[in-house]
Amino acid sequence: MRMGTVVGRVTLSVRTGSYVGERLLLTLPWKKDTYSGEQKFDPAIVVYDQLGAAVGQQITISEGREAACPFEKPTPVDAYCAALVDEFFYQE
Amino acid sequence: MRLATIKGHVTATIKHRSMEGWRLLIAMPESPDLAPQIVLDPLGAAIGQKVMISSDGAEARQIVGDERSPARWTVLGIIDPERDLAL
Repeated sequence: MRMGTVVGRVTLSVRTGSYVGERLLLTLPWKKDTYSGEQKFDPAIVVYDQLGAAVGQQITISEGREAACPFEKPTPVDAYCAALVDEFFYQE
Repeated sequence: MRLATIKGHVTATIKHRSMEGWRLLIAMPESPDLAPQIVLDPLGAAIGQKVMISSDGAEARQIVGDERSPARWTVLGIIDPERDLAL
C-alpha cells in the first residue's frame, strides 16, 4: 500500500454496471521525498473509497488485484482506500 | 519479494475491518523503482531493521484471516544483520 493525500473528488454521470453509489477520490500518491516533508508526489490516481476520506486527508492506497478484494461481486477497481491515516512516524 | 528498511509506522483508527489490530509499518525498498510501501507486520520488525517484504496478496489475506481484505504487502522476514552480505 502506498500513502496518499486526497486532493479532490470524482463524480461520474455514466457508470459501469457494478458501481453503485461509489465514492471516488483524486489522490496524490507519496514518493520517498514526500515522507521527508517535500511537496513532491507521484501522478494523481483515482481511488475507490468506502471509509469516507475528506479532501486534504492522508490515506493508504491498496493497489493491484487486492484493491478489488473487498467487493462481493466482481468490481473493476485497481486502487482502494484501505485506511484513513491519523498520524505517522517517520525516521530517515 | 523485495528488501526494504523499516522507516516508521502509521496509526489509523478508521480502516478496513480486516486490518484492525495489525501493525502498519513504512518500508523503504532498496530499489528506487518501488515507492515506499505501508506493510502489514506480523513479525514485530523495529524501525531501522532491514526486512524482506512481499506483494503476495493471498498471503496477506491468509495472515489477517479475511478473504475480503485489501492488504497486499507483508513482512515475510527480518534480515539477520550478522549475515547480511549486502551491508
